[in-house]
Amino acid sequence: MLLLTINGLAYAEEPFIKIGVLSHRGDAFTVNAWSPTARYLTNQLPDYDFEIIPLDFDKVDNAVKQDEVDFILVNPGIYVNLEYKYRVSRLATMHNLRGEEAYKVFGGVIFTRKDRKDIQTLEDLNGKSFMAVDSTSLGGFQMAWRELQAKGIDPYKDFTKLEFGGIHDRVVRSVINGEVDAGTVRTDILERMSNNAGLDLDQVRIINPQTDINFPFRLSTRLYPEWPFSKLQKTSDELAKKVALALFAMPKDHPAALAGSYAVWDLPLDYQQVHELFQELRLPPYDVIGKFTVRDVVQKYWYWGLAALLILLGMGVLTSAVVRRNKRLKRIQLRMERHYERLLDSVGDGIYGVDLNGDCTFVNRGMEKITGWKADELIGKNQHEILHHTHADGSNFPANDCPVYRTSNDSKPRFINDDVFWKSDGTSMSVEYSCTPIKGPRNTTIGSVVVFRDITERELVKKKTTEHQLQLFHVARLSTLGEMASGIAHELNQPLTVINNYSRACIRMLGSKDKSAEGKLKEGQSTEDQCAEVMEKISKQAERAGAVIKQIRHFVNKDLPDKKPVKVSQMLNVVLELTHMEIERRQVDLHLDIDESVNWVLAQDTQIEQVMINLVRNAVEAMEDIPEEQRNLIIKTENQHDGKLKFSISDSGTGIDKEVLEQLFDPFVTTKEQGMGLGLSISQGIIETHDDKIIIEDNVDGGVSFSFKLPIIKASKLEMENNKRNANNKEVT
Amino acid sequence: MSEQITVFIVDDDEEVRSSLKLLIESVGLETETYDSAQSYLDSFDGSRAGCLILDVRMKGMSGLTLQEQLSKEPICPPIIIITGHGDVQMAVRAVKAGASEFLEKPFNEQELLDSIHVAIERDAEQRGRASRLAEIQSKVDNLTDREKEVMELIVTGMQNKNIASELHISQSTVEAHRSKVMDKMEARTLSDLMRMIISLKPM
Repeated sequence: MLLLTINGLAYAEEPFIKIGVLSHRGDAFTVNAWSPTARYLTNQLPDYDFEIIPLDFDKVDNAVKQDEVDFILVNPGIYVNLEYKYRVSRLATMHNLRGEEAYKVFGGVIFTRKDRKDIQTLEDLNGKSFMAVDSTSLGGFQMAWRELQAKGIDPYKDFTKLEFGGIHDRVVRSVINGEVDAGTVRTDILERMSNNAGLDLDQVRIINPQTDINFPFRLSTRLYPEWPFSKLQKTSDELAKKVALALFAMPKDHPAALAGSYAVWDLPLDYQQVHELFQELRLPPYDVIGKFTVRDVVQKYWYWGLAALLILLGMGVLTSAVVRRNKRLKRIQLRMERHYERLLDSVGDGIYGVDLNGDCTFVNRGMEKITGWKADELIGKNQHEILHHTHADGSNFPANDCPVYRTSNDSKPRFINDDVFWKSDGTSMSVEYSCTPIKGPRNTTIGSVVVFRDITERELVKKKTTEHQLQLFHVARLSTLGEMASGIAHELNQPLTVINNYSRACIRMLGSKDKSAEGKLKEGQSTEDQCAEVMEKISKQAERAGAVIKQIRHFVNKDLPDKKPVKVSQMLNVVLELTHMEIERRQVDLHLDIDESVNWVLAQDTQIEQVMINLVRNAVEAMEDIPEEQRNLIIKTENQHDGKLKFSISDSGTGIDKEVLEQLFDPFVTTKEQGMGLGLSISQGIIETHDDKIIIEDNVDGGVSFSFKLPIIKASKLEMENNKRNANNKEVT
Repeated sequence: MSEQITVFIVDDDEEVRSSLKLLIESVGLETETYDSAQSYLDSFDGSRAGCLILDVRMKGMSGLTLQEQLSKEPICPPIIIITGHGDVQMAVRAVKAGASEFLEKPFNEQELLDSIHVAIERDAEQRGRASRLAEIQSKVDNLTDREKEVMELIVTGMQNKNIASELHISQSTVEAHRSKVMDKMEARTLSDLMRMIISLKPM
């Protein structure tokens, strides 16, 4: 019970093994002829139940494709196709029974009537009529075709007539009857008809006769293997092996073999010949590949040909368009290159390229013009050694410091605004230039491009402008001094008057020495002693006058453009010395609020003094219209703790009208009857050269403050220098 | 009235002050120095003879302001203005306001000393006339009202009988008053009397 179940399960698993058989003579015939073989296999392999599936020509392909069968038995032609398309593989080759003998191979025979003397060889068939069995018959046509084709004869064209008789007997009769010039049939047909149908073999001539000692029949073609028994790809190798062994073990004359009209099964033969035949004749499955002529193509694939032709034509058109476009692009590229070249050449700036070695790769015309170097003197040469070898001051310029190299090395663009290039005539010129890295493929730097400009002229103009500005400041200062002349004259008059008085007094005292009653001499003091005392005073006064003159001379000095550390107190001294007369004359109270912690600032001192004098005088004048006791002038310095010292000059006047305020710093704008109105505009100019601006603010308690800032210099640095200076140059207060 | 003549020096510059002092004292004159207009004004005594040397431009009260203040006094010393360059306009104002002289710094010492002498003489002159007028005035003050009335008419040159009819008194009474006036005024002639009275009239 248990065993049965297991068997049942095994059956259930693979109960039926289907053998597809080509049904070329009807399904009933096929089933009758091959079922005994299936039964034989079932007996031999009791685990399986074999059955025959008859398949028409047109069903074979699909049955294999859909895996509807496990084994397949077809003629060699179909087998080759299935092998090619579905990887079926043969297990055994059937040995056909011909009379008493079994033959595993067969071929084709080409023949004509013996009396046709004109037909001796295959070539002789050219231009004759021909009959074969069927266009798809291997032995009855295709084998002969292969031999004909080998001789250059195409049965479809080179025969005056190609007919297919359908059955072998008819082909033979038609040739014998002279209906066609020649024909072909399977091997053994002629012999069989000679035996059964009274054919006289002497009446026929075999064309291209072949001999094989193992093959007794008349033959015109190569031999090909008989039908193979094959397994599908899905069928297990183990089952296939069992089936093959069972088939090989079938004894000769077994009822199954008799039913199937075959002798035995033997080891499978090589079907390569069949493959080659199909390949040569370009029959399926080789109908799409292999050698073929244009004519074949035109005949067989004329529509594809047409399409191909159209495509070719289209491609031709496209290609020519592409070629034309290419040419155009090349022209455009050339034009662009020329354009760029022209563009580069038309630029006034010098432009040149540098590779990683520092050699020039290209130069534009501007470069040649500016430097005097010719392109061929530069290209391929080291640019630093030619253009850049020496600094403006004559010192050596090491190549490692060259900004162009550094840009090549670190890929950072640079802009240099004060450098020199050396020209071919040995002179130098001031230049500004940019170096920009050039990127190659994969974004690596392959060099740099330098764009430079000769700024010699510009530097000259700049220098001249600076000079003019300094001259303007100077002239303005002289003009200010002129306006202050009366005050300054007073400053000088005072000591001169004193000197004059004292000296005259001395003269008188000495002249009236004897008449002591006239002079009012101090008690117990000689005239000489008293005169000496007076002379001392005279000397002091002369020094005082000298100090004023020194301040004036300092003030009218031509400006040195350089800023230097200057003492705040020294500048304030000059300012107060030169303005105190005006301050006093206008009854203005001066208040100094000086931040003693800051001694030094960076400035051009005379210019700053000029500014402060202008501001002080403006402040004094601004208070003209208010009562004397309300006139307050504050001069203040204030450490801003951002490195700057703020100077402010405040008045207690009536303030500035808005309309005036807007144009306060414009030149020639003045509310005074005297004066050019240049003071503030010049002052602003001076403070701007000190990188600041004059700021105007309203005071909380009336009046306005003018202020500006100067950079503080730390005292410690300067103490020694200062001490030296003091030693050489007595400070005057 | 003191006979002492003093040169007052007002200048805010100490050195100028002391040099002027020395120079002026070298010619035997007494000096007094002041460092500001105000300090001079504070110690001002109109009776003191001499002259004033004044700097126009000073801190605090200016020379011109001081001059203005002094002009309100009945008598003050003549003023010599000293000035720096550029103060000419001020000096002109000062002279118009009665300054006796102005000197521009630095000045010639002889010029200064001459100016001082002229000023002192002028001061003396002004002080002499003042004392004479004061004498006449005190004589006038001694006259009775009737005598003053008679004198007023006498100096117009009126005859006695006309005076009598004017004052509705007798001619003999007029003659008595006339002789008293001549006596009290210490006038020898009519023209003496007339000069005295005219000098009293404001100019």
